[in-house]
Amino acid sequence: MFKDLTLANIEKWWITIQISWVKHTAYRLNFFLQIIGPALVFFFVKYNLWASIYAGDSELIIRGFNFEQMINYHIWAFVVALVAQGHGSWNLAEDIRLGRISSYLIYPFNFWEFHTASWLSFQVIQMVIATFTLGIISYFGLLIFPSLNYFLIGVAYTLFISLFWFTLQYLTGVMAFWLEETWILRVMLNIIAYFLSGAIIPLDLYPKWLVDILNYTPFPYLTYYPIKIFMGEMTNLSLGLAIISFWTIVFAIINHLVWKKGIKLYTAAGM
Amino acid sequence: MTEKMAHYWDVYKKFVSTSISVETSFRTSFILLIFMDFFFFFSSIGSVSFIYDHVVNIGPWQKDQLLFFLTFMLAIDNLHMMIFSQSFWEFSFHIKTGQLDYVILKPMNTIFSVFFRHFRASSLFNTPLFMGYLIYYGIQVNLSFLDWTLLPFLIVLSLALLVVIEFILSTSMFWLTDGMGINFLRMQMQQLGRWPNFIYQGFIRKVLTVVLPILLVGSGPVHFLFDKSAWQLLVTMIAALFILVLVLLVTWRIGIRRYDSASS
Repeated sequence: MFKDLTLANIEKWWITIQISWVKHTAYRLNFFLQIIGPALVFFFVKYNLWASIYAGDSELIIRGFNFEQMINYHIWAFVVALVAQGHGSWNLAEDIRLGRISSYLIYPFNFWEFHTASWLSFQVIQMVIATFTLGIISYFGLLIFPSLNYFLIGVAYTLFISLFWFTLQYLTGVMAFWLEETWILRVMLNIIAYFLSGAIIPLDLYPKWLVDILNYTPFPYLTYYPIKIFMGEMTNLSLGLAIISFWTIVFAIINHLVWKKGIKLYTAAGM
Repeated sequence: MTEKMAHYWDVYKKFVSTSISVETSFRTSFILLIFMDFFFFFSSIGSVSFIYDHVVNIGPWQKDQLLFFLTFMLAIDNLHMMIFSQSFWEFSFHIKTGQLDYVILKPMNTIFSVFFRHFRASSLFNTPLFMGYLIYYGIQVNLSFLDWTLLPFLIVLSLALLVVIEFILSTSMFWLTDGMGINFLRMQMQQLGRWPNFIYQGFIRKVLTVVLPILLVGSGPVHFLFDKSAWQLLVTMIAALFILVLVLLVTWRIGIRRYDSASS
């Protein structure tokens, strides 16, 4: 009985992943402009900025980075942003706000299961795009690949961060029980995370006192440390894993509690 | 003409007052928006400051010059957020749902009723911060009396060029089932323009100056303020504005004809 139930549930997950894949890729231009475009433009601006700063001087080293290393840092930042921080849980808040979660209350498939399956599907797409992008960049000789060992650890670590990011985005989504507009929380979170995680510039360029404080927060482990792994430096891996695991569990618990409290307030729009 | 302007001004005042009423009825969102702008401002300033802790120049500019440029762009961004930003997002939603019918039926210029409809009062709270920093860095780069006199006009000119480019981009939503992606494209354009033109090289710089003159928005006026011999950039900017207004009028008319109400 239990086995049958599990198999039936796996099938639901699998079908949801397939449906989400179709949904994500239905409007390809939109998907490109919303998900890939921002990361691509962000990288393009940073490439030009650093090219302007180094001005062709191959001898110039800024906080341990020559031009090639700086560009590599930003290529890996692009990949990490794509895989770990691409998902925005946009539909989640909309489902609550427009009263669509009524379906989940009736169907034998939970709200969180549906959105987690959707996120898994999104991650597969992002991985395909990241692989394709890395292939192109490598073809043009812009990327220094680490050893296979570092690369695989980097990929695994980045996927783990994406789980953390998802739990955090999920929290902003379920806040729709109380807030009219959850995108503000999401954007605010992105701005803070990008700035404090080393996605804009390497944390090596930040004042030491600030980096010392940041090391106690999850931020550096979202971008800076995974990039360092991809660049062949295994620093603070176990500490990073411990901190990210801790916060993922904390946010998962908070999400559960928020959902339980929020669902009591829920009145389906249009019912 | 004056009567017409007065009528539009009256309508705009109503737009502003209803927007404020709606926005202030969701107080948490209202406060969060203020914080969002605040974080964006300081993360932008902080990033540039941290880079300058390790380099003397970026291109030909020193720290205060680049920070003046950045605060100039952030001041435009603040006005853009306040006056236009929300209308772009609503526009894509209205096309998708067919609610645009009610907007274009009004006896007004449709560009006005679409893009001037929503006012974001929360951004007004950060305006003193944005303008204060602009003035501070203006003092640091030793702006002359003439420069200070020109500054408000240059801000308005830059804002006008930015929004006309964005209006044109937004007309492409008429041809798309879901125009949300165009709003993200707009934001990426803003990001490109938030850096001075000299960081871009060759073909890309030409395209972003001549074809899609997003680099003129900030670089035109600021280069002129620093060096009056760069007046050509300002003239190009004014010429670009006139040409783009004409392009907008044509593309908008075609777009409106193309509009096929989702609700009908």
